[in-house]
Amino acid sequence: MADVKALLGQFEAMAADPKALMDRYIAEGKKVVGCFPPYTPEELVHAAGMVPMGLWGGQVTPSVAGKYNPIFTCSLMRSCMELGMTGAYEGLSAVIMPMLCDTYRGMAGAWRVGVPGVPLIAFIHPQNRTDPGARDYLAAEYRTVAERLEKMTGAQVTEEALQKSIDVYNDHAAAMLDFCRAANEHLDVVGPVARHAVMKSARFAEKAEHAALVRQLVEQLDALPRHAWKGKKLVLTGITAEPDSLLEMFTAHGIAVVADDLAQESRQYRTPVPAGKDGFDRLAGQWQGRQGCSMVHETRAERGQMLVDMAKETGADGVAVCLMRFCDVEEYDFPYISRDVEAAGMPCLCLEIDQSTQNNQQNGTKIQSFVEM
Amino acid sequence: MAETAPKPKRELPKSRQMVNEMTAKVYADAWEAKRRGEPVAWSTAIFPLEVPETFGINVLYPENNAAAVSAKHYGDGLIAHAEGALRYPINICSYARLNLGMADKLRDAAFDGADPLMPLPDLLFLANNSCTQLMKWYENLARDLDIPIFFVDCLYRYDEGELEPHRIAYGRGQIEKLIADLEVFLGKKFDWDRFLEVQKRAQINTKLFDECVALNSTKPSPMDGFDLFSYMAPQVICRGKEITTAIFEQWKAETLERIASGTTTFRGEEKYRVHWEGIACWPNLSYNLKTLSSYGINAVINGYVTAWSLHYEPGDLDGMARAYQTASTNSLSTQAIMDKRSKTIEDYACDGMLCHVNRSCKLMTFHIFVGREMIEEKNGVPVANFDGDQSDGRVFSEAQFETRLQAMTEIMAERKRTEGVK
Ligand code: SF4
Ligand code: SF4
Repeated sequence: MADVKALLGQFEAMAADPKALMDRYIAEGKKVVGCFPPYTPEELVHAAGMVPMGLWGGQVTPSVAGKYNPIFTCSLMRSCMELGMTGAYEGLSAVIMPMLCDTYRGMAGAWRVGVPGVPLIAFIHPQNRTDPGARDYLAAEYRTVAERLEKMTGAQVTEEALQKSIDVYNDHAAAMLDFCRAANEHLDVVGPVARHAVMKSARFAEKAEHAALVRQLVEQLDALPRHAWKGKKLVLTGITAEPDSLLEMFTAHGIAVVADDLAQESRQYRTPVPAGKDGFDRLAGQWQGRQGCSMVHETRAERGQMLVDMAKETGADGVAVCLMRFCDVEEYDFPYISRDVEAAGMPCLCLEIDQSTQNNQQNGTKIQSFVEM
Repeated sequence: MAETAPKPKRELPKSRQMVNEMTAKVYADAWEAKRRGEPVAWSTAIFPLEVPETFGINVLYPENNAAAVSAKHYGDGLIAHAEGALRYPINICSYARLNLGMADKLRDAAFDGADPLMPLPDLLFLANNSCTQLMKWYENLARDLDIPIFFVDCLYRYDEGELEPHRIAYGRGQIEKLIADLEVFLGKKFDWDRFLEVQKRAQINTKLFDECVALNSTKPSPMDGFDLFSYMAPQVICRGKEITTAIFEQWKAETLERIASGTTTFRGEEKYRVHWEGIACWPNLSYNLKTLSSYGINAVINGYVTAWSLHYEPGDLDGMARAYQTASTNSLSTQAIMDKRSKTIEDYACDGMLCHVNRSCKLMTFHIFVGREMIEEKNGVPVANFDGDQSDGRVFSEAQFETRLQAMTEIMAERKRTEGVK
């Protein structure tokens, strides 16, 4: 048990201080490339022998970002901009940004003028995925990302290295899914904060290193007797479920997180990169396989049903939509997913996620009434 | 107080009357088609409509409709319905809220709480060249109404320079697939000869539209710049039709006549010429117009109307794919947009740039925030922002608009005095 606690502590430290991790990698002589979430193919950076690190903002009160970010910029990008403009990302060799929403379209321009010291590589996924040309287009687009990366950093992305990197990432994803399984068997040990720390730390850490640590954790958890959770259970959906003080409210109310559809967490792992001979094409194939995400075009109610299924499989009592402030793609999904969840006879809470404040009062009231239901 | 006689309404120029008749006919035809059991489509504003036009499908345009509904002050109820019963958050585009509200209300055949009303669609045409929100909006329509989307994914151009071959190939392939899919959906063969004719017609209309707009670079302008908004409908919804040619020819003749006779539709003396950035605030249009003209400001040109400058060689599908990916400045990088704006400001001899910080439109607003410095630097003209919304009347503040306008006018006046700007 002491080992489990110590391991969880390591994940928590990584999740809490990505800057320290970045400084460590740079001190080891590695180049670090910032990857805007959630679907930047980190494998390309990894294959170039550099360290990809996710950029997920942070709890900051923006003071300068407003110069280039309108007030209704999503909370996540607003803090990324703030951190960028105040020098927190100095040391990154470049950043890669996927044009998944209107905020990103705007951010590409904002970044170029607001953070001129960290060069930007933008790219765009195809959204008409049933078109036969979509996959080829994306493979070609990924090639241009690799070329721009090579030009900027002097590194090389070879086919052999890319295949190896994809294996590392697929292996890591498998380890993370196994962790989710083990966590649910030990909800007394892996509370909402700890679960999140394991998931979030993966966005920053080098994947082989992280996978090894996760496997150790799973091994330790599997050695413990299974625990039957008596309290309420929730499925989380959205971009992120932060800050920790929000998750602590779940703990305080005896609520366990048993599954998630968060962009920062499980959406990263549920779609493996398919097998194939061409690395770029394999990565494009992963995009083609993604489902149930607000950033990926689908015309049927996949996400609503998916959440209902997730809740049923895990015995959850309800779904919490963690709605990132001013994230329009999520806001467009909210009506139908909340209706689908309720139609299945489950409550659907809507919690607001805002990186610019630690104040969770309103969310607290909603959680309270969920528990009392 | 003695009652003053109402001012006689100025009669609309013939070309404007033709626009109104054309729009009324498009709606009437769509309703008639619906009654006959023929498919009616709803489409995003910058879709390759040459394809549905060739098939003879009746198409209506929710963005265009939302603008018309808002201008007639029918938007609030629909928006409230979307935010209330339908649960849409207040932060999403008000065109989307209005339209999703209307789509739901239209399930009740007796609904008549807005004007103009569109018949419910049987299929959707989606091109995301204006923004990503369109895609999310149409996903919801497709789900709620259980109808298919025919999608042409127009990739955002984050860098400057020519489009790479992989973008063109994807775009062209999608147009070809659109045609093939529609053949199956409609059970009808595509007439490639007619397609070529429609493409030619669209090019004639686009060229004419650009020419008419460009006439407003004349100093002083023959038109109040806000008139340009009124001529968008034919280009947006009937780009491929002959009636549009007739309207634009009439418009051109009237404008040339005004230039020759030194007259204008602008009310008052044109002291300043500004570039208007963004969509109009439809619910506040007449207030904006009145206030601008009271300061002698003519918003001679705006970036919005140029979004339908879809130029390609008829018969060239690659060119068509390129045009639909790049015509809307919303699909270009801020740098690329501002380069265009900067040139327009020069060509139209603008003294300033007035930017509508549109609560609905994140994309346009981002470009304003990032781009204003570029314009100030390059053109040396003042840039002023004001808050508003294209359809949601709750955002715009008359007091703020006027204060910002006042401040900008002072700078423009000062520049004329001290820098000898004419
Ligand atoms: S998807 Fe949402 S959270 Fe992510 S960048 Fe876009 S608006 Fe922000
Ligand atoms: S107003 Fe802006 S957000 Fe709304 S549909 Fe048009 S481009 Fe998209």
